Amino acid sequence: MEKIARINMGAAGGPEVTVTEVGEYAGLGGRAMTSIIIATEVHPLAHPLGAENKLVIAPGMLSGTAGAMTGRLSVGCKSPLTGTIKESNAGGQAAQVMARLGYAAVILEGKPTTDDLYKIHINKDGITITVDNSLRLMDNYPVIAKLRGEYGDKVAYMTIGSAGERKLLTASIACTDPELRPTRHCGRGGVGAVMGAKGIKAIILDDAGLKMRPPKDPERYRDANRKFVEGLRKHPVTGEGLPAYGTNILTNILNEAGGYPTRNFKSGVYEGGSKLSGEAQAELEIKRGGKATHGCHRGCVIQCSGIYNDAQGNYVTKQPEYETVWSHGGHCGIDDLDTVARLDYLDDNIGVDTIDMGVAIGVAMDAGVIPFGDKEGAIRLVEEVGKGTPLGRILGCGAAITGKVFGVERVPVVKDQALPAYDPRPIQGIGVTYATTTQGADHTAGYAIATNILKVGGDVDPLKTEGQVELSRNLQIATAAIDSTGMCLFIAFAIMDQPETFQALLDMLGSFYGITMTGDDVVALGKKVLSAERDFNKRAGFTAAHDRLPRFFYTEAIEPHNQVFGITDEELDSVFNW
Amino acid sequence: MTHATEPDSSPPLRLRFRVPAEGVVAFSPLLQAGFFVTARVGCSVKTLLSGQFGIDEEYVTRRITTMFLDSKPVDKMESTLVRDGATLALSCAMPGLVGATLRRGGFYAPFRAGISCKEDDSPTRAGIGTVRIKLFNLLMGELGPLFLGRGIIVTASAMEELLLSSGDLFMTSCSEVSVDAAPAELTALVKSGIFKGRKKVRLTVLFDPPVEIPEDDL
Ligand code: SF4
Repeated sequence: MEKIARINMGAAGGPEVTVTEVGEYAGLGGRAMTSIIIATEVHPLAHPLGAENKLVIAPGMLSGTAGAMTGRLSVGCKSPLTGTIKESNAGGQAAQVMARLGYAAVILEGKPTTDDLYKIHINKDGITITVDNSLRLMDNYPVIAKLRGEYGDKVAYMTIGSAGERKLLTASIACTDPELRPTRHCGRGGVGAVMGAKGIKAIILDDAGLKMRPPKDPERYRDANRKFVEGLRKHPVTGEGLPAYGTNILTNILNEAGGYPTRNFKSGVYEGGSKLSGEAQAELEIKRGGKATHGCHRGCVIQCSGIYNDAQGNYVTKQPEYETVWSHGGHCGIDDLDTVARLDYLDDNIGVDTIDMGVAIGVAMDAGVIPFGDKEGAIRLVEEVGKGTPLGRILGCGAAITGKVFGVERVPVVKDQALPAYDPRPIQGIGVTYATTTQGADHTAGYAIATNILKVGGDVDPLKTEGQVELSRNLQIATAAIDSTGMCLFIAFAIMDQPETFQALLDMLGSFYGITMTGDDVVALGKKVLSAERDFNKRAGFTAAHDRLPRFFYTEAIEPHNQVFGITDEELDSVFNW
Repeated sequence: MTHATEPDSSPPLRLRFRVPAEGVVAFSPLLQAGFFVTARVGCSVKTLLSGQFGIDEEYVTRRITTMFLDSKPVDKMESTLVRDGATLALSCAMPGLVGATLRRGGFYAPFRAGISCKEDDSPTRAGIGTVRIKLFNLLMGELGPLFLGRGIIVTASAMEELLLSSGDLFMTSCSEVSVDAAPAELTALVKSGIFKGRKKVRLTVLFDPPVEIPEDDL
């Protein structure tokens, strides 16, 4: 990954490609690459849909290698949803292929002067950009079907659906999985709207004739990768729970803990929870000839995904993740997995973030647009998004806009991004991350539960009251670092519990780049990324006042534990003191 | 020993049958939604699981890494007491930050300090009582046969719903079916409306071959 491609969509005479050495960005990958480029090159007050914003697409540091779990792709920009810096990542095949093509980043810049729609084809011979207005307002599944006719099945596709073209604030960028389905989405923050604003409908990545990226020390890399895979396979979460049930294994647990936000955060327990559980989902998938275990890209050994079929055994969608099952399920008072699967398909097809879309529907339900539990109504509302009706455009702009338009007081967003499926009142520590992350409410911003092993910030005394703030800080640092490696975050459990697996990860990085990598280096990387992101947000006008949860979390106690969010503003303001 | 719960005046319908070992998955709706067992209450969670239910201590310690007593995450199962009428939910290790947070005695336990099970000194009445057990994820397959073999109490409506939604394959795989100790035929039983007007069913299921709690995972 020795080069960076810049594509200026606003160049006189049409899009212009410049390929340069990585230069000052050498050694960066994934989130580190996207955030540092955005923080360095984008004016913080730029309009997110304007010519000054950039969309940076970057594979992880180990993407395109023979290493396991290395297929996350990061996309960064100034977010049209939050107004902050944004990094949104996804699995699928794109990261591996882009890395093998040698690009550490592809940066989309400027804005076309016409309303033509473009597709970008990248292969070993270079980058070709062509107008293809025949794709206009097509959604992801039909777009991929059409492009496959032209480019075949041995490539990876990144596309936007109609939501991206309409520049809706929850629009996602779809990446195809190994079966070439557009099921893996850079979902959060409206990155698809930025791609739409650049006039780009599809990116086709073709690595024909290219090999895996070679490590500096192949033998050490092979050995480290073997130990890493062994560690993942032997851990009960990464070797058993996730493969068997996927992330939706969390539904029963969150519901039991009273932390499952139900009917727009009115209760922490959903009476229909067990019908939505990962256990029920896996059983149904197997019974209908789908799959309960499936990888979103080649080289994934955890395989937390699956294939969801209908009662007749026909493909509906990939296995919806926990957050999707929650946003369209319990959050909306819907306890039917078939309805959730249909909504997941619609989200993927139209190209919207499943979290913000589902939360917006629940907020609309709270406003009385349709009643809670109205399965057909929820499907109809998402279809409105696909049709681009005025109501659909409002909903497609997410929970914050929907709440404002319909006069709803209880709107679960931070920096206008919808909260995911974990109520911050019973589990207060996660609320610290929601409030203070650089990205708007995001559970994955503090997900890398390996801080104890990384000793980020030294040893935390969990019994101290400030422990929650310290833990959140350390989680955010560790996550920013792992997001930069291109590793799937689900590796975190195995590296938290098994020091030898963490060492194997360090050895993979070290042997690949021919350096010695320590835990301290990982921490330094995480801090560097977060500092750049915080600095961008500050220059964009964000202050401590934005690092807060919505007021209702402080005033409305939630059943069954009757707790409100109790972390003080002073404590929240100390998260980034390092 | 006193009886801490007033026994239900109407005795449960006693349903018993034998299924092939792989048939345990059919009972997952009952296992995850929760079932009732009669037990000596007033003891610790650990004593209940190992001492009374006979689950290997090592398995309890290493495999049941997440547990809730009345919706509260349990950290110290040796000193957390189970009262009559309590609900005990059991799970393997869970993914993600929240999985780590809810884990028994985990590093991130402070994240949910406000809802954790606290040790409480108030007197707990010892005696025979009823405990509701919920089994999640991998534990359904591993511990389900143990509880089903001992006999569990479920609502008649939940039992009826389970049998109505079970496919023909399951129904025909059940053998040695008996209702209140009298031989019966399962398909006919469901159609006969036998559950109407009944509140509870005591369900006992034997597995063929018997399913043991796995030791490889320990
Ligand atoms: S564990 Fe899941 S999300 Fe991660 S790479 Fe594998 S299938 Fe994708």
